[in-house]
Order: sequence, then C-alpha cells, then structure tokens
Amino acid sequence: MQFLDISKLWDFSFFFNKAEVFDLMSGLLTTLSIALLGIFLGILVGILLAIGKLVGNKFIRGIVTIYINFVRGTPLLLQLYMMYYVPAFIVNELTGTGLNWSSYVISVIAIGLNSAAYVAEIFRAGITSVDKGQFEAASSLGFDYKASLRLIILPQAIKNIMPALGNEFIALTKETAIVSVIGAKDLMFFSKQAANITYNPFPPLFMAGILYFLVVYCLTKLVGLMEAKFAND
Amino acid sequence: MIKIEELTKQFKKNVVLKDINLHIKKDEVVVIIGPSGGGKSTLLRCMNALEKPTFGHVFFEGLDINDKANDINKIREKIAMVFQQFNLFPHKTALENITLAPIKLGIMNEADAINSGLKLLNMVGLADKANEYPKNLSGGQKQRVAIARSLAMKPDVILFDEPTSALDPEMIKEVLDVMKSIVGQVTMVVVTHEMNFAKEVGTRLLFLDAGEILEDTTPKVFFKNPKTDRAKDFLSKIL
Repeated sequence: MQFLDISKLWDFSFFFNKAEVFDLMSGLLTTLSIALLGIFLGILVGILLAIGKLVGNKFIRGIVTIYINFVRGTPLLLQLYMMYYVPAFIVNELTGTGLNWSSYVISVIAIGLNSAAYVAEIFRAGITSVDKGQFEAASSLGFDYKASLRLIILPQAIKNIMPALGNEFIALTKETAIVSVIGAKDLMFFSKQAANITYNPFPPLFMAGILYFLVVYCLTKLVGLMEAKFAND
Repeated sequence: MIKIEELTKQFKKNVVLKDINLHIKKDEVVVIIGPSGGGKSTLLRCMNALEKPTFGHVFFEGLDINDKANDINKIREKIAMVFQQFNLFPHKTALENITLAPIKLGIMNEADAINSGLKLLNMVGLADKANEYPKNLSGGQKQRVAIARSLAMKPDVILFDEPTSALDPEMIKEVLDVMKSIVGQVTMVVVTHEMNFAKEVGTRLLFLDAGEILEDTTPKVFFKNPKTDRAKDFLSKIL
C-alpha cells in the first residue's frame, strides 16, 4: 500500500492548466444555469401548486399535498434518477422510440420540480403569515378571494416570500452538484474529470469548492440586502 | 335592514350564540354591550358573513347572506365594518386605503374616488395625512382612516367591532366623535364597552350574555331600569 503523498494537497500547478480551468468555468456556468432555470421552473410550478393548495377543491388539494410530501420526503438523487429513467421508459413503451433528453434538460426538470414543492410551501407560508384581519378587511369591503389575494395579501406576503425564495435558490445552487451523476457537465462533473486526468483530486475539488463558496457567498449577501430592504419598507 | 332568524353559532362544541332573533331597521344606532365572551363580536361578524351560522339565517335587505345563490361580495359592499385592530392596509397610504375598494370594485372612477376620499379624510380631521402610511399614524388616526374607508363605499350599515378597545385612553374621544358625527347618515351597529357612548348615541341597546340577548331596549331604560339580574350585576360592576 502506497502512502499518501501529502504534497499533492498543495500542488497548485493545476491552476495553470488552462484547458482544465476553462472546463471548470464552463461547468460553473452550467451549474448556475441549471440553478437559475430550475428555480424559474420551480417558481412557475410552485405558484400553481400553492394556488391549488389554497383554493383548489378537495381532490386538487389532495394531489398537491401528496406531491409536496413526496418531493420533500425523498432524496433529490432519487428524483433525479426517476426523471432520468421514468419519462424515457414511458415514451418507449408508448411509441417504441427513445427519448432524447440531454442530461442537462433532465437535470433542469428534476431540480425545478423538486424546487416547486419548496416554493409552494414558501408561498403558502408567506400568504398565511399575513394577519387574517387583512383578509377580513378586504372581504368586508366587498373584494372576492382572488382580488383580496392580489391587491391586499400578496403585496404584503412578498416581503416574506422574496428572501425565502432567495434562500431556496442558494440551497438549490448547492444541490445541483448532484446532477453530475447522470452526466450533466456542471462544475462538479469537470472537477471530477480533472481529478481523473491528473490523478490528483485535491486541486480541482479545492477550486470547485472555492467557486461554489464564492457564488453562494454573493447570493447570501444579496438575500441579506433584500431582507434589509423589505424590512425597511 | 338586517334580519336574523334563529341564529345559533357553535365553535366545535362551544355554543357562542343561542337562537338569536333580531331585526335591525334603517337608521338605528344599535349598541351591543355585555361581558366579554358573551358573543357580541360573533353576532356582529355573523351580520356580514365573516362567521357562518351553525343554524339559522341572516338576511340583508331580504337576501340570505349565507345562501350561495346570493353574491356575498356584492352584499358586503353595502355592509361596512370597522375593526378593533383597524386592519388598515399597511402597503397603502391613508388615501389609498380609502379609495382602493371604490376604484377596484368599479363603484367610482379614480378622480371621483380621490375627490370623495379627500372629503372623507377632511371629515375625520385627517386631511393632512392623506399620503401617510398607516405605520406613521397613531391608533386614533388609524381608526379614523378606517371609518373613512368604510364610509367610502357608501354603505347602508356600518358594523363597529369594539372600535375603541385597542386605543390609548386619550385617543378614544377623537374616534367616538367621528362616530357620533355620522349618526343619522348610516345605520350603525356598535359593539362597545363605552357606556357613555352607548347612553348618548344609541337608539337601541342589546345586552348580550352567554350567547343570548337578555335585554333589547333603549339605553335610557337599560341604564335606569335593567330588567334582568345579569344586567344589574353587569352594571353594578362597571358603573
């Protein structure tokens, strides 16, 4: 058995290897775009889920609740694999042809549908956090539920919702690291690839770590600013 | 105007209102008094369907307000409410609080709504606060804006749910004065602990205890000659 050559821990020659650093940067862009498209899809579907849960009939509320509980109760990794295999299987059974979704597209959908469950809860919590007297005042003036929500409740809920969405986006950005297991070419993917090429895992992991950290740190600062702004309003 | 028939309201097993029958007529100023937990606020909130009866019916101008066939939102345009906690919209200025409903519900165009809103603010003595947000107003000022907001819809009746209970003592008078100033313009139903206001302004008094209307009389008679022991006991404790 070979002893670990700890000098590898601070072998930073990697950083002067342009091809690998370029790969990492393109991986970072992929990570960010998966997170952005994911949260976008998550917000879109999440709002629909929240509406379904707030005003839907018993059947719709039931479906939404099951969906949210399933997503929050199972690992993202499992959901990612399901998105990788299940749609392709169904399409193949129905049409006999394959499904040519790239691992990038599958990742965005899996991340987005996962995030939707959390976004739905963020919206629901934001709305229920508004004093119920506001609803009563709006109703007693003659506003129906929809108008009350739009004119009175949402403008007040938004100051709770926006920072929470920011935090969800931060969590999502970190969780996207998982998409490399189905071959999406994100930051994690390239850092593992660089490790395989150089036989030295530390520098690329180290660099990927710094990049993740920088992104998350900036986002955290942004959310902090947003919180302060909403607190002042 | 408002007719209540055999109204019973339960929260789970707790019976809050027992078989209430009541007919409130146009231009009355009905004050509802009684011990806390007696069902006063619940009775008031049944009048605009913020609470649904467990049994019985509430009619407004002949329409059963809990009947799905009747548009409750249309009915509520004519039944305004003033809350203990004001419930002004914090993201709107005083003037916007007043004009929001008339504009958005298509009762008035924007110019008319602003015009009438400013007049109402002037009437409640807050013309200079039109562009202030609620957080910059005192409790008394908030409640006066809330009264102006309720008047903006030109309602047939205003329900006041303990409008001065959340106020510092020195602000109670300014709110009561505004309420007095609109007597005769609109039917009023007022749940209150302000006995002097009840005496002075009420045309009719309901004494409510344990979910039942024990006395339905004039304030004058009630304060001089309460019929029931419960009312005598209540008055002996507060006067």
